[in-house]
Amino acid sequence: MAVKFTVSELEAYLEEALTPDEMAAIERAVRKEPGLLQQLAAINSRRDAGVHTLAEIWRRHRASCPTREQIGSFLLGALGKEQTDYIAFHVEKIGCRYCRANLDDMKRQQDETADTVVSRRQRYFQSSAGYLRPGG
Amino acid sequence: MTAVSETDRLLIDRIRGGDGEAWNDLISRYEGRLLAFVESRIGRRAVSEDVVQEAFIGFLNSLPNYDGKRSLESYLFSICAYKLTDHMRREGRRPAIRFSDGNDSSGQWQLASSARPASSIVRSGERREIEERAVVEALRDQVSRWKNRGDWLKLKCIELIIVRGRANKDAATDLGITEQQVANFKFDFLARTRSLIRKQGLSEDIFPELYEDETTR
Repeated sequence: MAVKFTVSELEAYLEEALTPDEMAAIERAVRKEPGLLQQLAAINSRRDAGVHTLAEIWRRHRASCPTREQIGSFLLGALGKEQTDYIAFHVEKIGCRYCRANLDDMKRQQDETADTVVSRRQRYFQSSAGYLRPGG
Repeated sequence: MTAVSETDRLLIDRIRGGDGEAWNDLISRYEGRLLAFVESRIGRRAVSEDVVQEAFIGFLNSLPNYDGKRSLESYLFSICAYKLTDHMRREGRRPAIRFSDGNDSSGQWQLASSARPASSIVRSGERREIEERAVVEALRDQVSRWKNRGDWLKLKCIELIIVRGRANKDAATDLGITEQQVANFKFDFLARTRSLIRKQGLSEDIFPELYEDETTR
């Protein structure tokens, strides 16, 4: 049976904003259902014409995302029950990729050695510093 | 998530001045979350690090265009998403959905759109920005009110409906409430959003989804 995706989910797919599992599910479905690719193209066409939706604006400006500090407090179990419950909902049920990335990053910081982090950051710096331009 | 913070604005000003230390600070502050974002999709650390590296270079190249209307984090995530998408397309894991002119021979993932050509209905970027600003204000106004009042159920419900596009019935099931409650939440949200948009002197007709409640309540 064909999997149904909402228009908002297809929009989010084009923004790389769904969870990795959902992204993969759409990619699998696209291979089987040419109509889905047509739907995605129609969304792109509408966007190219400058027509936007509430959902796109909500996601783009992350109207409901908690701050990184709040996500940190969530991880430490330092928030009230309702706020904790909301952040879990936002990450798990809404599938906010950006808040999930913040959460995963903070969890990983506890496991990574300082050397690994420093050497990775140095690599990023060395490969990009040449693009720094006064007045850029 | 608001527009660029004062700390980030100062950091960006220094980077625009070519300050390497400031650039190092930005990398240290944001690389971990960008890497987590990319790695969750690619699954391979080394390749994910390459994509983040490309995103940082992309950020410096696009810096003259960054206007601070979105938070720095959101802007960096969007560049990262773009680089990630590009990588996934190159690997053949993601379809390239664009508007072929018939000369593109990149294979079955390409699709020529049958939708109306953009030029026939194209709207001005300036107009679009004004609308977007008005909607963002309306959304933030309501979300912050719900959060301050502890109205978490309403926030969850509207997020399911607007951001995920769920039907009232599905949202009701997910949240363990009645469809009538969902319809009421939605009606209030849409009515207030319409009113806030009108207050900005804009026509709410540009967002047809603002009228969806009229048939469902």
